[in-house]
Amino acid sequence: MKLIVFCLFTIYCCSLVKASPMERKKLQEVLRELKMLKRDFPNTELMMNTPPKDIEDCCCLTALTCFRETLLQQFGISGKYQKKLYKSLNHTLTISGLNFCNTETSTTNCSTCHSHPKEKASEFFNRLESLVQRGLSRIN
Amino acid sequence: QPDCFYFSVLLDLCLLKKKSPDVDCLVVNLDYVSCKWNKTGTPEVNYTFYSKLGNDQWKICNHYLTENNVNIGCNQQVDSGDRFKTFRTRLTNGSENFEKGHELKKQVKLNPPTNLTVLNGSDFNLWFYWNHTSPAPLHCVEGEVRFRTNNNNWDFSKVSAGIQKYCINLPSSSSRYELQVRNRIDDSCGESIFWSDWSEPVVWGSNNSTYSKDLMSPWTPVIYLVGVISFILLAMLLMHHERLRIILVPVVPKPSPFLHNIEDWFQFSKGLKDNFKPDYNERACPVREYNYVSQSDVVSSDGSTCSVTTDQTDCSIEHDPEDLSSPFPSNPVSSEEVQKASV
Repeated sequence: MKLIVFCLFTIYCCSLVKASPMERKKLQEVLRELKMLKRDFPNTELMMNTPPKDIEDCCCLTALTCFRETLLQQFGISGKYQKKLYKSLNHTLTISGLNFCNTETSTTNCSTCHSHPKEKASEFFNRLESLVQRGLSRIN
Repeated sequence: QPDCFYFSVLLDLCLLKKKSPDVDCLVVNLDYVSCKWNKTGTPEVNYTFYSKLGNDQWKICNHYLTENNVNIGCNQQVDSGDRFKTFRTRLTNGSENFEKGHELKKQVKLNPPTNLTVLNGSDFNLWFYWNHTSPAPLHCVEGEVRFRTNNNNWDFSKVSAGIQKYCINLPSSSSRYELQVRNRIDDSCGESIFWSDWSEPVVWGSNNSTYSKDLMSPWTPVIYLVGVISFILLAMLLMHHERLRIILVPVVPKPSPFLHNIEDWFQFSKGLKDNFKPDYNERACPVREYNYVSQSDVVSSDGSTCSVTTDQTDCSIEHDPEDLSSPFPSNPVSSEEVQKASV
């Protein structure tokens, strides 16, 4: 029994050690997919609910959810890059990589997705890109 | 009067626009934000500076930059992640209030890399290593290297993010290598538009090496001299020995429909050329076997001797012994030798 607990604990610790490089790779993958989608996106004037520029640390995951759901709503997952990006934004490594919140109490103050004003698609993609870059600049 | 009113309003607006200071902000090494408002010259008044990051409260400046006792800028401490938030600045002077928003994500200038060292690797390559002092993670910092050999032109090379070394393959031991490096934030972390300054240079190689591009060996002038002398000797040899010249430099015939004589195709000397003339006539020199006959045998014969009277001058061809071009040199034969040779 003790041996099993010890092995499980070791596996858990190892997973923590390896998480950072995997999160980094995942976020870099999200950036690549986003750049491909931006390049091929035809209508940059389309208006979409966009989280604000200044997102609190504890509201980043809420903003991520908003970006993902808006993408699904506007474009669906029929396109090659849309599908890849949606899956990547839904990945556990992406979520853990963009979780900047150290406390659990602040999430209730985050705005809902529909309350965000609509911005152009180009601005939508730029803010999503900034969010991912912010995550990468925090990972060691 | 309405015209005067509008004119004064316009004048006030123009003056106001002239007076409003322009604030420029730069994130230095991801440690602090440096804002200045002296781009158009030292301000006439002392402004009070406030800044606001994202949704935070306004903060007053606690470290001003001054020039002639006038505030011209402010340094404000920030966290590395704060550049992704909107940075607002406010300059106040009494009732005057100038606010401006800044996007600091790309307005970053890192300090130059430090501890630039060089090592001669076991693979006989030259390895350069350096560090960076900003709090940015290693995978967020990309570099650029410039190096030169023997003070020639600089060669530039990009170094990918996360790498802090550079290699020069198989360097020459007689050359001098100088290298510098600079860095900036990588695209994956919000690419900065400014490169850092170049680091302090590091030098490797011979201090006594000459900086000329071609280092001359001491044997080179000797080899050149030997070559020139050999060439002169060969030219002299060829000028005086036609046969040798023909062997070494074969004559290429130049056929022409207008030249009927084949010897005209070749550039031979006159003596050699004469030998090819169709009307050339050379008398054959008769060769007889010597047979000593006693006097008694000569008398008892019926007189039908086989002696052939020959022209004494048959074989005496005028011959210049120095003329080597004549293929058929003949020796003068005396008349006595002709008689002896009767069959």
